[in-house]
Amino acid sequence: MSLLSVHGMGVRRDGRDVLTDVSFDLAASEVVGLIGPNGAGKTTLLRAALGLQPATGGSSLRDLAPAARARQAAFLPQSREVAWPVSVEMLVALGRSPHLGPGGMNADDRAAVDRALDRMEIAALRHRPATELSGGEQARALIARVLAQETPLILADEPTAGLDPGAQIATMEVFAGLASEGRGILVSMHDLGLAARHCTRILVVADGRLVADGAPLDVLTPGLLAGVFGITARFEVTNAGPVFQALSVLPG
Amino acid sequence: MTQPLLLGLLAILVAALFAASLLIGPAALGLVESLSALVAGGPEGDAVTLIMREVRLPRAVLGLLIGAALGLAGAAMQGFLRNPLAEPGLIGTSGSAALGAVIALQTGLAGAHVLALPGLALLGALISVALILAIAGPRGGSLTLILAGIAVSAFAGALTSLVLNLSPNPFAASEIVFWMLGSLTDRSMVHVWIAAPFILLGGLVLLGLGRGLDALTLGEDAAAALGVDLSRLRLWLIFGTAAMVGGATAVAGAIGFVGLVVPHILRPLVGARPSALLPASALGGAAMILAADIAVRIIAPDRDLKLGVLTALIGAPFFLHLIWRMRRQLA
Repeated sequence: MSLLSVHGMGVRRDGRDVLTDVSFDLAASEVVGLIGPNGAGKTTLLRAALGLQPATGGSSLRDLAPAARARQAAFLPQSREVAWPVSVEMLVALGRSPHLGPGGMNADDRAAVDRALDRMEIAALRHRPATELSGGEQARALIARVLAQETPLILADEPTAGLDPGAQIATMEVFAGLASEGRGILVSMHDLGLAARHCTRILVVADGRLVADGAPLDVLTPGLLAGVFGITARFEVTNAGPVFQALSVLPG
Repeated sequence: MTQPLLLGLLAILVAALFAASLLIGPAALGLVESLSALVAGGPEGDAVTLIMREVRLPRAVLGLLIGAALGLAGAAMQGFLRNPLAEPGLIGTSGSAALGAVIALQTGLAGAHVLALPGLALLGALISVALILAIAGPRGGSLTLILAGIAVSAFAGALTSLVLNLSPNPFAASEIVFWMLGSLTDRSMVHVWIAAPFILLGGLVLLGLGRGLDALTLGEDAAAALGVDLSRLRLWLIFGTAAMVGGATAVAGAIGFVGLVVPHILRPLVGARPSALLPASALGGAAMILAADIAVRIIAPDRDLKLGVLTALIGAPFFLHLIWRMRRQLA
């Protein structure tokens, strides 16, 4: 079942094409990694797919009314904003707002918040002000907010940036667990090793265009890595699963 | 503290201050005497009834309404801009509303139509809020906000002074003081009826924005993805704050710092949640204005100490304290 369908999407900003003719579908149970160099258009792609950014072409999410969209897809922006010193629990509970009736939070909503706190292993922090957490803890609290929204689709913009290795892996495993429950994940990231190991599929964006779309082994070829990222790398399937290591920067 | 408990305590405080405001004044009236005059009324032309119903009641009701308006408008604006320094007085909203009111009074429009005074005050507030949001919207940062606020305040103040300077009215110069500092002295029930609809309407609008403001805690993109229609939220916010501040300023002049001090004190007590801060700040603002208006009567009963002088004396150090705490962000 397709959770997100994007076709022919383009974004023009200040007379420059920042995204050109992007088309892809995202099905249930997929963890799709969105990779590309800085400024390639990853964030623009996510925002345009959601309808947060004017764009041409089509996106199944953009066609939904805002409230319906918020029950279909949750979005974790790259900027980790927490404007007020609200408690972690309250922060995570914001993810329930698209589901709330006039009476506010009910037992189901509270259960969803508890599940999200447990999944991100921050239940112990629930009463702490979110602004006083460490960077990594705050990042996990914000991911928990997205999980609490309990949408079929999750779009996350660099959720693992700034996390320690354990937390990065744990986050990707949370996404894999959600995918195994039938949800779909679209996650932008810079760590190709993490993408190679934990994503079922990879989309590569370069200069605003989708230049590759497929399984990690098929996508992360020497030719693509040289052309898009300007690097060489070693990519092997070992007993311990796929292992990817960037090696050197190509001249020029 | 739970939300109902806090709101209950604040409501009790406001009720007590409202009663005190009715009972304290230059005319030394007995407690029983004044209350029975207020409720039951005395014989025709009875001085006590007159004082209670025509002098003290409107003053207390206006204190309640105007305080609630300034507190709520401050909390809503701060929630939207995600900035604790946003305050109707500081960013020129009150000053612009005062300009509108002064124009209505000096051109005689206020006498021609009862809605002209609050209407023009609302228009002045509307223009200034829209201008501030355009210049220093949510992405503008504290420094832009404060600087834009200074510019708008200064311009509105200069235009107000200009209108009054050019006025043939011999008392115009002393009117400048009223509009710049604000006061509840010598207000009547007419003033209550002029301000109340605007303040109540604006209050209903702003209290309805809580969920959107909560979602904005996570930033604009996250809030939009949570289903918040940001452009609609912005429009309602502009209208709601302008109606409240416009209504309040039309009858009491520009009273500053209430919307800064009150949300700042109450924010920790509501767990910093913007939606919970809205009703709490309305009650807190009412308490602060009622208390300050009682204080000006007690401190200098025969000097007509301006209400805005007192709120500024309390508020300006608060403002400095906030800047001190935020100075790293501001730099």
